Amino acid sequence: MKIFRLILLLFFSISLTISCSDDDEIEVAGYFENGIFILNEGSQGQGTVSFISNDYQEFTNDAYTNANPGDLMGKYVQSMFFDGDNIYIISGGSQKINVVNRKTFKLVAKIETGLKNPRYGVVKNGKAYVTNANSYSFTNPTTGNTDDYVVVINLSNNTIENTIQLNATADKLVLDNDKIFIIDAINSNKILVLNTNSNSLETPINIGSGANSLEISNGFLYVLKSSNSSNSQLIKIDLSNNNFSVLDFPSSLDGAKNLDIYKNKIYFTVNNSVYVMNIAATLPPETSILEYNSTSGYAMYGFAVNNDRIFTADGGDFSENSTANIYSLTGTFQRTINVGVGPNGFYFN
Amino acid sequence: MFLCLCQFIFAQQLPVLLNQVVVSDSQLKNFTNSKSKLVLNDSIIENNQASLTSLLNFNSVVYFKENGLGMVSSPSFRGTTAQQTAVIWNGININSQLNGQTDFNTISTRNFNSITVQAGGSSAIYGSSAIGGSIHLNNDLKFNDLFQNDLQLNYGSFNTLGINYNLKIANKKLSSQFGYSRNSSDNDYLYLKKFDWKGNQLKNLNGEFANTNFNADFGYKFNDKNLIKFHSQYSVSDRNLSLITPSDSKTKYINTFNRSLVDYLGDFKGFSLNFKTAFLFENYKYFDDIDYNFFSEGSSESLISKLDFGFSPTKSLKINSVFDYNRTKGFGSSFGNNVREISSIGLFAKHELTKKWNNEFVIRKEITNNYVSPILFSIGSIYNFNSFYSLKVNGSRNFRIPSFNDLYWENGGNLNLKPESSYQVEIGNVFKYRKINLSQTFYYIKIDDLIRWIPGNDGNWSPINTKKVNTYGSETILNSDFKIGQNNLNWNATYAYTISRNLENDKQLFYVPFNKLTTSIAYSIKKIAINYQFLYNGFVFTRSDNNPKEIIKAYKISNIAIDYDFKFLEQFKIGFQVANILNQKYQSVEDRPLPGRNFNVFMNLKF
Repeated sequence: MKIFRLILLLFFSISLTISCSDDDEIEVAGYFENGIFILNEGSQGQGTVSFISNDYQEFTNDAYTNANPGDLMGKYVQSMFFDGDNIYIISGGSQKINVVNRKTFKLVAKIETGLKNPRYGVVKNGKAYVTNANSYSFTNPTTGNTDDYVVVINLSNNTIENTIQLNATADKLVLDNDKIFIIDAINSNKILVLNTNSNSLETPINIGSGANSLEISNGFLYVLKSSNSSNSQLIKIDLSNNNFSVLDFPSSLDGAKNLDIYKNKIYFTVNNSVYVMNIAATLPPETSILEYNSTSGYAMYGFAVNNDRIFTADGGDFSENSTANIYSLTGTFQRTINVGVGPNGFYFN
Repeated sequence: MFLCLCQFIFAQQLPVLLNQVVVSDSQLKNFTNSKSKLVLNDSIIENNQASLTSLLNFNSVVYFKENGLGMVSSPSFRGTTAQQTAVIWNGININSQLNGQTDFNTISTRNFNSITVQAGGSSAIYGSSAIGGSIHLNNDLKFNDLFQNDLQLNYGSFNTLGINYNLKIANKKLSSQFGYSRNSSDNDYLYLKKFDWKGNQLKNLNGEFANTNFNADFGYKFNDKNLIKFHSQYSVSDRNLSLITPSDSKTKYINTFNRSLVDYLGDFKGFSLNFKTAFLFENYKYFDDIDYNFFSEGSSESLISKLDFGFSPTKSLKINSVFDYNRTKGFGSSFGNNVREISSIGLFAKHELTKKWNNEFVIRKEITNNYVSPILFSIGSIYNFNSFYSLKVNGSRNFRIPSFNDLYWENGGNLNLKPESSYQVEIGNVFKYRKINLSQTFYYIKIDDLIRWIPGNDGNWSPINTKKVNTYGSETILNSDFKIGQNNLNWNATYAYTISRNLENDKQLFYVPFNKLTTSIAYSIKKIAINYQFLYNGFVFTRSDNNPKEIIKAYKISNIAIDYDFKFLEQFKIGFQVANILNQKYQSVEDRPLPGRNFNVFMNLKF
């Protein structure tokens, strides 16, 4: 969680700093069309977006600044989502969403009102649903854990047309037809269910606390849970009736996170290792398929499986540029790329 | 008259209490003369803006990083970190116990009689953080018949308002001072040549601040041998913190300080006695979103007692033994409630070997179960070759102890930290010709075990002792006074060349400039005075890897002020100041622009 650092950093004055380098200006049309964006959340300074083409031939470390010189993308860049020709970049620390063109990365719009610590978004029928963490319980013990909300943004004019109070906390979310499933991240035991037709909450699914990542596959919602007090679990929810089964993980897989389903396999990480299991497996995996050396407490800060490759990002020390690694699906190392400060996610264009 | 380059030569030792002026910090006068020292007196304090950042930025070798005008400001002295400059209030170290540093924009200069910039390490005298140097804020007391009111008002751009009032009442037995100052600003300056993506002019948002300060100082001479002094100060710095981009959360930071000091001095035949007790309180409240009234906070309370017993076995030798005890309680939202106790024992000596050759020697050891405490020392020598040249040499060991944040921050504090440790040597050449003083100092500082916060294995940030840094360079300080008929000209300049090497990667530490130059010229004829100031700050790297694309560009800033004294009352000056006359676009921290040309009218009354 980045928020705790916000406060902490205040006391370091500016002895820590961020790192990123802007490369040559990108003028080639379609430069961004086939490749991978790596989102670097930034630390003391602004977040950045790195880009590498699918064939690894093209690389830029700060696509946003190159395309929009002089403009600042914002702090603690949390995530991004796509719709049509646009990419929506959520700057959680600056309460804004920058809307850029998917091919040029030039700014199209900024959504700067109605957001409070925005986190993640999904799009349904031209409308984006974005979770907002609002206040946190460490400064607002009274309502910090119950004041999160979802905003509904009309993407045709980039304005917020609805705000849905959740009476819970909110973080990652996924869409399935007309339902959005939201992790109630802090101090809770449920997955929230939001109906996009009525924009109202339905009965939540009480899966216990500690959910950190989720994905839908073939009518099932898979949720990975871990907490300090109990072993990790994989929850499989049947979306036709919201019944669920639980797969308990051994203590060797404590702290499992970053669930990603790809080609009928479930990938996840534990510390600096990647594990994989068949989606139908009834036992958790025993050995990892890869691990890398990290000196950071934020190993696997970003993780994704796509394009027949595994992508890992190391949080690093948040004071200088960090790295991302690319592996084959069996865990064979392919290459390391130097990215920005605090890389936290991969997005595929 | 504006600046004096001090090279005290302790020839005749008059009994302290016979002097008309009793300095607030006798150790500064007695044991730190083998190091480079710059005194900014009341007239230069009056001729500068009220923040300590601005005063030192334009008049000393200290470099500042300012998160926007009036916002959090941290110094780097001789290439060291913000926690390696100590701020000393009337002889007492007031760096925050919570984060180990002083925010120089929380200190208003107006209520001090003098501010001394002491370069180099003096941890053996002043304790933690006195590595790069120390800044001494002094309320010296005058014992002569005096009734003086001093009122300074100023108003300028961005609705900046300053009210500063001082009252001094004294006779030969009793001396008192009262001060009030309030400096506030809407601080909504434009960001020169900066526009948002739609082409709208950007300006400083959420930057308003108000700093308020009260102080009262008393001294009473029972007789020629016994004196008691009381100093107290209360200040509140209430600042919103400037936004980087307009949609950022609006935050706010309130710092409150309360400081009291009782100081007894006894000066008897053959020996002296000094007993001090100070109580320091600091509190911060940080509102991470001013739309809500929620805040996190932290406080510390320190009790400091010092006993100093001095004697002179021979005419040329003075020895002081110093005992002190310091108890600090820190408490707050994120670091629980903890107490730290530190005692220490020290021996200070100065020896006038010959008329020309003086030596200083200080050794001190702290006793605490909080950290492993090194033996701190400072050894110095001054040789006056003749009336226009003297040579100074000093070597010292200094430290910076872990702060309460470093030790006790929840989910991260590290109780096993060692103090940051430093050795340094300096050689100073001092030239004096008539009213021209020039000093040239070379120094070398080796710093080990720098405390740095890094993300740990459990995902929590934690401080560890890691970096090693070598910093070396030179400082040149010039001051001169010329008087021809009714023309008075005063010319001052400072120049620092600094290399600060991170030994991990052999790169310059980021946010340390290689070059910094200041100069000021004050000219007066009859009732008119003109004051010009210039600052050149060389570029700094902003990344530890010294990426040449990631720098803060060099900046050259000029200010000019003109005033007229109507010679009504003791003084009745009305003046006008233009800051940043060349309208330079500049910043000292990335994405934190500082104001362009701005204006200020002022009125100074003495009666």
